[in-house]
Amino acid sequence: MPTEVILPKVDMDMDAGLLAQWHVATGEHVEKGAALFDIETDKAAMEVEAPASGIVGHIVAEAGSRIPVGQVVAWIYAENEEIPDLPPGGTISGDTGAAEQEAGRNEVAEVPQPTAPAARGSDEAGAENDSGSPRPRATPAARAAARKSGVDLGRVAGSGPKGRIQADDVMRQQPVSSGPAAVAGLSEAAPPVDWAENQRPLAMTRRKGRAKGHPILLIHGFAADASGWAPLEKALGDAREIIRIELPCHGRSPLVRIGSFREFTRMMVRAFDDLDVAQLHLVGHSLGGAVAAAIADIRPRRIASLSLISPAGLGPEIDGATLYGIARATRTDSLAPWLKRLAARPDAISHDFAKAAMMARMEPELRAAQVELADMLFPDGTQSFDLSAAMARVDTPFKIVWGRQDRILPWRHALRAPDVAGLHLLDKAGHIPHIERPEAVALPLLENFRTGEIPVQQR
Amino acid sequence: MNAPTRQPDADIRELSYSEAIREAMGLALERDERVVLMGEDIGVYGGAFQVTGDLVERFGADRVMDTPISELGGAGVAVGAALTGLRPIYEFQFSDFAALAMEQIVNQAAKMRYMLGGEASVPVVFRMPAGSGTGAAAQHSQSFEAWFGHVPGLKVVQPSTPEDAKGLLLAALEDPDPVVMFEHKLLYKMKGHVPEGWYTTPIGKSAIRRHGKDVTIVASAIMVHRALAAAEKLAGEGIEVEIIDLRSVRPIDGDAIIGSVKKTGRLLCVYEGVRTLGIGAEISAMIAESEAFDFLDAPVLRLGGAEAPIPYNPDLEKAAVPQIPDIESAARRLARREV
Amino acid sequence: MSDDNRPFAIRKYDAARLRDALRKMYLIRFFEEGAEDSYMRGLIHGTMHLSIGQEASAVASCIGLTDEDKITSTHRGHGHCISKGAEVGRMFAEFFGKEEGYCHGRGGSMHIADVTKGNLGANGIVGGGLPIAVGAGLTAKRLNTGAVAICFFGDGANNEGAFHEALNMAAIWKLPVVFICENNKYGMSTSTERSTAVKNIAERAVAYAMPGHTVDGNDFSAVAETVETAIARARAGEGPSLIENLTYRWRGHSKSDRNRYRTKQEIDEWIARDPIQRFRKELIEHAILDESEAEKVATEARQEVEAGIEFAKSGTAPRVSDLARYVYAEENA
Ligand SMILES: Cc1ncc(C[n+]2csc(CCOP(=O)(O)OP(=O)(O)O)c2C)c(N)n1
Ligand SMILES: [Mg+2]
Repeated sequence: MPTEVILPKVDMDMDAGLLAQWHVATGEHVEKGAALFDIETDKAAMEVEAPASGIVGHIVAEAGSRIPVGQVVAWIYAENEEIPDLPPGGTISGDTGAAEQEAGRNEVAEVPQPTAPAARGSDEAGAENDSGSPRPRATPAARAAARKSGVDLGRVAGSGPKGRIQADDVMRQQPVSSGPAAVAGLSEAAPPVDWAENQRPLAMTRRKGRAKGHPILLIHGFAADASGWAPLEKALGDAREIIRIELPCHGRSPLVRIGSFREFTRMMVRAFDDLDVAQLHLVGHSLGGAVAAAIADIRPRRIASLSLISPAGLGPEIDGATLYGIARATRTDSLAPWLKRLAARPDAISHDFAKAAMMARMEPELRAAQVELADMLFPDGTQSFDLSAAMARVDTPFKIVWGRQDRILPWRHALRAPDVAGLHLLDKAGHIPHIERPEAVALPLLENFRTGEIPVQQR
Repeated sequence: MNAPTRQPDADIRELSYSEAIREAMGLALERDERVVLMGEDIGVYGGAFQVTGDLVERFGADRVMDTPISELGGAGVAVGAALTGLRPIYEFQFSDFAALAMEQIVNQAAKMRYMLGGEASVPVVFRMPAGSGTGAAAQHSQSFEAWFGHVPGLKVVQPSTPEDAKGLLLAALEDPDPVVMFEHKLLYKMKGHVPEGWYTTPIGKSAIRRHGKDVTIVASAIMVHRALAAAEKLAGEGIEVEIIDLRSVRPIDGDAIIGSVKKTGRLLCVYEGVRTLGIGAEISAMIAESEAFDFLDAPVLRLGGAEAPIPYNPDLEKAAVPQIPDIESAARRLARREV
Repeated sequence: MSDDNRPFAIRKYDAARLRDALRKMYLIRFFEEGAEDSYMRGLIHGTMHLSIGQEASAVASCIGLTDEDKITSTHRGHGHCISKGAEVGRMFAEFFGKEEGYCHGRGGSMHIADVTKGNLGANGIVGGGLPIAVGAGLTAKRLNTGAVAICFFGDGANNEGAFHEALNMAAIWKLPVVFICENNKYGMSTSTERSTAVKNIAERAVAYAMPGHTVDGNDFSAVAETVETAIARARAGEGPSLIENLTYRWRGHSKSDRNRYRTKQEIDEWIARDPIQRFRKELIEHAILDESEAEKVATEARQEVEAGIEFAKSGTAPRVSDLARYVYAEENA
């Protein structure tokens, strides 16, 4: 007899909830107590745990739909139990609402359900929407641009208030011209791409906070951009202001030739200084983690807390092949296999996810600049810089979050971090825990922020 | 060969806004026997705001007629005279008093042509000194443009410059239908270039007073000048504001606004009338319904008069209508995507 | 009784009442001079309409009223206001836009009211008060309060539709209203000859079947007597009356008047007919007070006005955040 999984009542006056996201796929094994899916109500968002161990035989409610309390959403079968073709009670579709399906077709319908982590809007748009629809918050111009270019708004990080996606947030996700890129992809050995430097300041976007507290500064990793923070931003909530700076040669930041990690860091410190913020919580991922550690070392008094997610700079090993694979890929099909290496579960990276990621990297110049950058930072697939000494000097609240299944930077590097750093090792997470398990990453981060906001004497 | 020398003051003749209106009325009285001016104290007194000035001396009390304090009657007489062949310009001493004449303007003048199946014409012009800022409090400071703009059959204009004041008044005189012209009291003394002779400024056409790519401001009357001052400051911050001077409230120049919003993606409406159910509401709705909708990259904002009568106390009075810093900060917030 | 040839007011009112009437006339005069002075010093914004020269009409018309009786006033209303018992300090405070003003700085000169004293307010709209006074008359009749409504308006207002509509309704319903037209010869620049078809505005009473009287508005006693008769008629349920007080404003219509429509000579002639001097002389003649007592009344009034200006200057400015207060009842709290 399979175990039924229902949408539970988690809130006093709740009669339905939005099934926001599944953490498992049909056919997968789950342990009792593991996160099964996320639900959101008007007031809260939370994980629902598996009521039994076994195989998820049927998922009968789609992510993104609004489900009445008590309704069955999945069936878990015992290890040796036979799984019938049809679920015991049939499938339900939830009520996304015809109007929304219509209006949101281009954004929501293409979202790679159920596993793509960045599937939803960049902020609480879903929670604020009465119908519970996870429509991203975006301006009409952004929607029009997304429609035209096929960009999935669910993957775009908004730079407007409350994370609203603006037209130019979409623009930078779309290819400058699809022609040459497609041609380049066809030839076996793409000719080296010439690119020119430009001297703009680094791209910075902010989302205002609802309450007091220091702002959070997010620094992404190699070959990523600010849009990758969307799931974590959502998990972090909207109390604090969020600032994102994009690394040189990434996202909307200018393409520049950089001779050393030191020089790279210096550019970031300059952008940091331009922020004109007294104190902030610094969060960095991977290469961004190393940069964050360097900034914290240089500007210790302006850092309220430091949180590093799978940071670089703690050992020589790195999966160089993946870095180059991602940096060079000219189309989705060549990018996807590399992206899959980032996640704990390869199927977490759907084709659509990869397609959207490719959209953001269509500029040959950007790719060429990133390849050069990788050559400089990671020669022969080795991390050329070491930040363990810098980290040892950190004296603000300091946490490191790492995925146990990280195949790019081994989590054991964390053991070289100073003893003051709290270490959170996440299961079912690869190199991108902030995308794979945003809530689990947010938890220690928020704790870190809170500690960082308590006056030193009272800590 | 020498470059031809320009006449030094060939086209820089400056008049005040009220002088420009007076010049228009003078030209009309000279050119067309059918033109008469009517209103309270427009004769020897020269008008409450000295707009008619010396016209009574030039054209006589038969054509520059002081009426008793009888707005309903006066406006109605003007309507009747227009219906039967005269070309009256009726001056309300303050636009507020048009409330006493609503009947004749709204029920009679505006609808006459239609009710009579196109067989009648009411070419009357109502001049309305309007707006706050003079310390005259609740019954002498209102901005009724939107009221009249709500009435099919009327045309409503609101010049912001001396040149347009003259041009729109002459256009109103040439127009076969009733035209209501709002003149902002604080603009009467403003000077500007005014071409000589008879010319018209088309009714229903706005004017772009400043070009910019970041934010569109649609403003009217004195708000155009406040918006320009705000834009100047914002330019120093790298924010380029485009300013559309509405000029006509009815018909409204939709194409110009839609075109500009398509370019900037951001719209701020600035007007002195009460914010709710005002000109800004109409413009916002128009944009929402238009092809410019897809180009909006921020919510449309309205800056209008407070939801209160105009207060007497000078600080309250200032706070009751948009001022330069209000416009500046609203446009800045739009440009910086803080809204 | 009939052998008493003294003027009506002297016969009718006791010395204290008459002295108070003189005091009020001085208060009006000095209040307006003080307002004018403050305006010229840039302490007051906006404009103002001064009734200097018309004090007898205001005070004599109100001398028989209680706080239960109502008045509606005009843009030229300071005199009516003081006659109905307003404090000059709070009036100045209103002029200065202060919270202590009668309208908490919201209304200014043209809207001063004191509803607690039966003063329903000045009015920025010519003729605006006429139907309102009829409404007050209707209330008095319906509720049987015995109150009357005195409706002040200018000669200019008698050409507004509201005048005719109001008089007609007051007459058909026999309401306790006394319409008092302060005919100062001009509505702004337009003389009654040019604006009004009848010679005396009181003649218009005929059209509405009510008594009409034209009175020397600078003769305190004559005004008091005529109004008293009309009030008695109103209180007796016999309906409204129309009284025309002939008077003159010494100052221009408002601050922007260049006096191009009247002659210096005309103005001087009327200044010679100062209603305050005339009343003061009358009181002295009839031994209500002597010269030095009269002077004392004037001096005290002057001091009251000076104190009022100081009171107003030290008043509190309204908070800008209270801009929309008083728009609706719930905002009053
Ligand atoms: C309905 C209306 N029309 C015009 C005015 C402008 N206005 C204010 S006072 C005034 C003259 C009023 O004359 P009158 O009634 O004789 O009163 P006075 O000023 O002589 O005391 C005018 C035309 C107004 N306030 N309201
Ligand atoms: Mg008068």
